[in-house]
Amino acid sequence: MYEKSGWLKEVFPWEQKTIEVNGRTMAYVDEGPADARPVLLLHGNPTWGFLYRDFIDPLVKAGYRAIVPDWIGSGYSDHPRNDAAFSMAHHIADLVSMIDQLGLQGFVIVGQDWGGPQGVGAAMQRLERLDALVLMNTWLFTDYVGKFHQSPLPWTTWHAPLIGQLLMKRFKVLSHGGVSAISRREMSERETRAYHHVYDEPDSDHVVLTWPRTIPLRDGDRGWDDMQMIQRRLPELGKVPTLLLWAPEDNVFPIEYANRLKELLPHAEGPILFDRAAHFLQDDRGADLVAAMIPFLNRAVGASI
Amino acid sequence: MKFVTPSAEELSYLRSDPLLWEQELDVRPLVAESIERAAGKRAGRIYWRSAHDHLYTLELADLGRGRPSMAMVYGMWDRYEPRPPEHEIDGDLIDLCTWVAEVSDTLDPSHLSRVLGHAGIKPSWPAGSVVRSPEERFANLPDFSYPPQYVEIEGLRMAYVTSGDGAPILMLHGEPTWGYLYRKMIAPLAKLGRVVVPDLIGFGRSDKPIAANAYSYRSHARWLRRFIEALDLRQITLVCQDWGGLLGLRVLAAMPDRFTRLVAMNTAIPDGRGLSEGFMRWRRFVMRKSSLDASAVVKMTLSNAKLSDAEAAAYNAPFPSAEYQAGALAFPRLVPIRPDFPGAYDNRVAIERLRTLDLPVLLPWGDADPVLGKLEPELRAIFRNVAPPLTINGAGHFVQEDAGKEIAGHIATWINNNK
Repeated sequence: MYEKSGWLKEVFPWEQKTIEVNGRTMAYVDEGPADARPVLLLHGNPTWGFLYRDFIDPLVKAGYRAIVPDWIGSGYSDHPRNDAAFSMAHHIADLVSMIDQLGLQGFVIVGQDWGGPQGVGAAMQRLERLDALVLMNTWLFTDYVGKFHQSPLPWTTWHAPLIGQLLMKRFKVLSHGGVSAISRREMSERETRAYHHVYDEPDSDHVVLTWPRTIPLRDGDRGWDDMQMIQRRLPELGKVPTLLLWAPEDNVFPIEYANRLKELLPHAEGPILFDRAAHFLQDDRGADLVAAMIPFLNRAVGASI
Repeated sequence: MKFVTPSAEELSYLRSDPLLWEQELDVRPLVAESIERAAGKRAGRIYWRSAHDHLYTLELADLGRGRPSMAMVYGMWDRYEPRPPEHEIDGDLIDLCTWVAEVSDTLDPSHLSRVLGHAGIKPSWPAGSVVRSPEERFANLPDFSYPPQYVEIEGLRMAYVTSGDGAPILMLHGEPTWGYLYRKMIAPLAKLGRVVVPDLIGFGRSDKPIAANAYSYRSHARWLRRFIEALDLRQITLVCQDWGGLLGLRVLAAMPDRFTRLVAMNTAIPDGRGLSEGFMRWRRFVMRKSSLDASAVVKMTLSNAKLSDAEAAAYNAPFPSAEYQAGALAFPRLVPIRPDFPGAYDNRVAIERLRTLDLPVLLPWGDADPVLGKLEPELRAIFRNVAPPLTINGAGHFVQEDAGKEIAGHIATWINNNK
């Protein structure tokens, strides 16, 4: 367990526990009754569990157990300096390890950005224990790529060989600028700092660079095979209640991504659309998103296992 | 980017500081292959000297995948000096990345500059890292009413005064003085040419970075080169003393075509050997100090002249507090005192270059200087075309104070004889 500094406790009061996954320490928030239905809230790049701060109390009040891990390399988890630690397969194996060690049954995966493919990828390893799925501005396929991820301004330039090392690690353009820059509301200084401070240390933001490089654009890209495998297995989720919550104003995963997900998961409910929200919709509209999610969960699976 | 091949000797005097570690150079194989083509190797090191004169190396590693697949970038710093200012490293690494974008068919350097622009990344001196001595401290300087002029060098304001017309006579001061030191020599020599008297960065009216690592032998030499280029000085008669010579002689070796004559007084181009006990005492003294009384230093070494209170105040004018003295406190430390100091190596290279020059040299030398008084023969041995010894009897280290008028007269005669 980590003792957080006072300023952070004021905006993120929950105790963070730790668990060892594949030899590295993963930090996570675990609130609500141990026997309640676990809801795994999974962030992406370049955020950490802080992104879900508006989700935790409402879920617990509704009787659920909210579990918010920080992926290895981010937040309060270990930040190894070895880029090889950050393949999609590693991230997925880390979450599987956590699911196993905590003995989670009947869990719900809530994923945005990398939380989508890594969460679903892990759930596919433990399908018998997955009861519901909520996806927000993410993707699970290789056959549609939007403009953003193909554009050199700024995306492919940001993470080009050597150039990415300078921009992402020395200048921290994403870890120190990514969230606050596209916020659709007034983020307080403390909130901005909460996102940035986990990447204050030099050489702490390897994952911020390896994630963009893992996005599969074409065959041969790292992440291509893993994402193809996920897409191929999507029919196995046909009976898992699924809800799409979407911010159509997000440049990274615009509505075309939701449409493609609907084609691949035709049984999914939604997408319920949220305006006044960009890529980090949990930060822009957290309270509204969780308010839309809880009735779905109550109806589809309920808080008790 | 211009690659260089540093000698094994030079490399042995530098320390390598890891700056970028690209573990995934071949995450985009086409880029890795372009770098291999441009570098001319799949594994091993290439070196280049940056816009800031720092030496860098890019080390490629072939991990057996048929292309360079890992890359390390190191700064090669003076092993006895702190890491240079971060914004200089930022700028140099941007230049490296621009090169990567240029040599790669799949990247565009204009994209990189737009991304940097959008992120607001423009490496320069951070706010508060540079101070400027208040103008009012320079009011009523005795015998020095030349209006200051300014030129911007790497984001720093460098001050100078001029007088006269014609081919430039560039006068370089040293530690811990400023252009004021030359006030007795400007008027007589302005009859022969355009006298240009700059204040070194960290001195006089020039801007003063407050961090010790802003100052190095190389950065001073670079600033001075840029100053000469900015004013486009050609056919220069260089007049120098103390650090003015340590720097001026280096710059002369780097751009000899711009110089036609050299007057060096009580100075040196140290290669790490033969430093006097007087200098070592002075060096130890300053390295213990956190502030320096500039006028006391000048007064202490004078033998003939006496400083009036107003003249003493003029020497202290640039330094309202110790915060303004990082440059003055750094100078003694920056003298290469042993042969294995990187600055000593640089000077040995410069000396070899100076030996090849035919320009006329005059060495007026104060013989009552405990620090540099005995070093005239060292400089004399370097040059081919040196005037007979010109000992300024009884003059101390600051010959310009003790015998400025007299020396100006000698220089004028000598210039007229060497037209």
